[in-house]
Amino acid sequence: MRRRPFAALSAILVALLGAVAAVACDNPRQMDGFKTCADVAKAEQEGALVVYSTDPEAAAEAELAKFHAVFPKIRMNYLRIQAGGLYAKLLAERQGNVYLADIAQLSDVSFALDFQKRGGYMQYVSPEMAAHKTEYKSSPEGYWTWGALVVAAIAYNPTLVSADEAPRTWRDAMDPKWTDTISVKVSISGLQHVTWYVLRQLYGNDFWSKLAPLKPHAFDSYVQQFDRLVSGQDKVALTAQYSGYLAMKAKGAPVVFVYPPDGVVAAPQPWGIVKEAPHPEAARLFMDWFLSVPGQSGNVRELFTYSPRPDVPPPPGGASVTEFKLLIPNDWQAFERTHAQFVREWDKITGLR
Amino acid sequence: MIVRGLSLRQIVMPLVVLLCGTLVLYPIGFLINESLNVGDPSVFPPEEYGLDNYWNLIDDYHILANTALVACIATVLAVLFGFLQAWILTRTNIPGRQRLERLMELPYYMTPLIGALAWGVLLGPKTGLVNQVWRSLGLPGDLFNIYSPYGIAWVMALFEGTVAFVMISAAMKSMDPSLEESSRVLGAGKLRTALRITLPLVAPGVLSATIFVFAEMLGSFAAAFVLGIPGRFYVVTTAIWQATLSFPPDYGRAAAMGLSLFGVMLITLTLARLVLRHGSYATITGKAFRPREMDVGRMRWPLLGIAWGYIIVAVILPLAALLLTSFEKFATVILPQMKFTLANYETALQMGSVGPAFVNSLTLGISVATVGVPVIGVLAWIIYRSRMPGRGAAEYVIMFPQAVPRLVFGLGLLWAWINLPIPIYGTLWLLGLAYFTVFLPLGLRTIASVVLQVDPSLEECARVCGAPWIYQMRTVTLPLLRPGMVAAWLLIFIASVRELGVSIFLMGPNSKVIAPAIVNSWLSSSSELSAAMALIQTATVFAAVALMFSLARRVTGVTQ
Repeated sequence: MRRRPFAALSAILVALLGAVAAVACDNPRQMDGFKTCADVAKAEQEGALVVYSTDPEAAAEAELAKFHAVFPKIRMNYLRIQAGGLYAKLLAERQGNVYLADIAQLSDVSFALDFQKRGGYMQYVSPEMAAHKTEYKSSPEGYWTWGALVVAAIAYNPTLVSADEAPRTWRDAMDPKWTDTISVKVSISGLQHVTWYVLRQLYGNDFWSKLAPLKPHAFDSYVQQFDRLVSGQDKVALTAQYSGYLAMKAKGAPVVFVYPPDGVVAAPQPWGIVKEAPHPEAARLFMDWFLSVPGQSGNVRELFTYSPRPDVPPPPGGASVTEFKLLIPNDWQAFERTHAQFVREWDKITGLR
Repeated sequence: MIVRGLSLRQIVMPLVVLLCGTLVLYPIGFLINESLNVGDPSVFPPEEYGLDNYWNLIDDYHILANTALVACIATVLAVLFGFLQAWILTRTNIPGRQRLERLMELPYYMTPLIGALAWGVLLGPKTGLVNQVWRSLGLPGDLFNIYSPYGIAWVMALFEGTVAFVMISAAMKSMDPSLEESSRVLGAGKLRTALRITLPLVAPGVLSATIFVFAEMLGSFAAAFVLGIPGRFYVVTTAIWQATLSFPPDYGRAAAMGLSLFGVMLITLTLARLVLRHGSYATITGKAFRPREMDVGRMRWPLLGIAWGYIIVAVILPLAALLLTSFEKFATVILPQMKFTLANYETALQMGSVGPAFVNSLTLGISVATVGVPVIGVLAWIIYRSRMPGRGAAEYVIMFPQAVPRLVFGLGLLWAWINLPIPIYGTLWLLGLAYFTVFLPLGLRTIASVVLQVDPSLEECARVCGAPWIYQMRTVTLPLLRPGMVAAWLLIFIASVRELGVSIFLMGPNSKVIAPAIVNSWLSSSSELSAAMALIQTATVFAAVALMFSLARRVTGVTQ
């Protein structure tokens, strides 16, 4: 769970050494649709892979099944926990020297930065990382990489709100007419923190002060936000996940997504290999596959998220990512430092404090 | 014989107390340590100690007040419903009692979070089905708003209150009916008999149930999570959820909040002990009796109506709402928008992890209940019958896991067991041990209500006749405690199958259980899929319980 100061120092030293050696192997092996530096025979000999993630179980299992279809000797094992619980578990396991996870998807860059500081990630520069932008990867490269982008903006129920009165911009969502009928996410949501941060940068520090009088309803998950939207309990969802909208739209639910001209919020999902992974070769092989076009295309199809790779098509029914202006924090360290302030303000807005 | 018996007793009694006490206190030690951490939360063990986390609770006074409000309302409702239903179903001769009794237990089979979801569908403001019917009659506004403190208390009472019914029923089944008959012969009416004879005689059961249910309500999470947060109404458990799952996690605040609830529990338990000390509640004496129901004459039909009314409201309506949701393409309560599909059941059954999770949950439920009940039976006897020094303190210690919200206790268990050099982390063994620890209070309170009804003279008689302690326990005490032990088995089995707070932190990739899978589905996939999974869970547990009781009847010839 926790580390002593000398351990933090050693993590920094390891990171510095890693910065020098952050290159993929000399001769990556070409597989079907991806390149790998992993020893495939050894990975198959390990015979298993354990993934800890926050992604929905059914969709994540479908994605992992695709990898299993390519490497049937590697048995997939998936554990889904909400981000905070997942990180608490991961840290407790490290503190107790118990290592069960090979791959960790922590859903929030704050968690990934912290885990990297604690020396929790194995450094592995996948040959597939060359196709990922530098700013989408850890520094130094190889500890974690964005595996998916969660896009969010505004959604409304067209049976309750006409197109004329619907919000078109982020500022429109602050209109007093949405009092008691607008939803947001709670302060433990990484996506909500990103939204708070980037819109504050865009519109000024007092932007969110207009939300508190609307008495927004706050939820842990986009599932609850969309449930209430389509059942008419709320009219507008702020920080509405595009993946949730696409999934609802595919089912024929009455929901419209608004693309504010100033941009849509995008929060990354960082993926990385746990340093003491019990199946390290299988983990390397998986990361290579997952970051490649086949792995990313499968992930996008199953989870309705976007790939950070430009050569991967958008999710089913979704617009091309080039049609959006993405609002992403440009300094993650600065972003992380605002967390306490965000929680304090957001808890007041949503009625917790 | 006596000397040999006494020596066995001298070995077994301290061993049981020591084992149970250690299982509880060891994780609590980690929690107390964390609650005093006022330094960097990322350093372990803490470098700075202080009481700041406790002082800061003053700032959260509105959360504590909210918690007390819903816990009190829910406890009163649960005990009231539980008592009334237990009396009707165990003490009167209304038709179909056994079937109704099984139906009464149904809400307890379900992960409470899904129960709250069902009530959101029924009584949600603006579009809840009941409110839609209300408006279709041309009546203004909403009839009910489930997203309110009263709505939360209502759902808590229905879904957690089954415990009260089972505990009070067990006490009523162990009651000599001749006492009620004497009252009737002497001219008292049925209501007067129920209030003046039945109620005082089952007072230990009612009090036990009240203490347990109150503690359960203080630490109840699901209803407040599903219904409170949308209504901007926070209680201790939802605040703890936020504190433990945020980044950086505020474990100190969460632990202090969780442990502070034990203070409330301590006062309640002390009051209960004081009340029980001043009375004799023995109804099982040397005089032979057979549990008989009271002939309530023409009153049986109104009473049957009340029993079925409760079943319809508490069981059938929410199950119907869930059934409707589970067949929907997307969850909505607006009738013209509904689209139906079987896909949710297909997805639930195809998910690779669901099958093993069901098997694991059922295995854990059966094992923990079967191993735990005899141990807890002995523990209850030690606390309420023996003269072992420190037995009173043992009761307070055993009640600890009930007073601390499960989410916080789960963290304590995680830290405690992962730091032991025993390789059981990530296995079903650890989940089994954890379930046994957290369900000690449930078993103890259920069996305690019956222990207090057994006249000590029966055991004294066995001892005078030369029976060693173990023989007396096997042939006199435990058979007399059978209703309490059967009830405790049932409750522990079901509670294990639907356990969530502890499982979240302790389950591993090879030891998944079903309740977190359902909640995860609700948090990350869809309400429709979660409803389908919850109904599969309910049907499975119902079938398992029915099978278990049928087997038990065949083997022992005993009906519940």
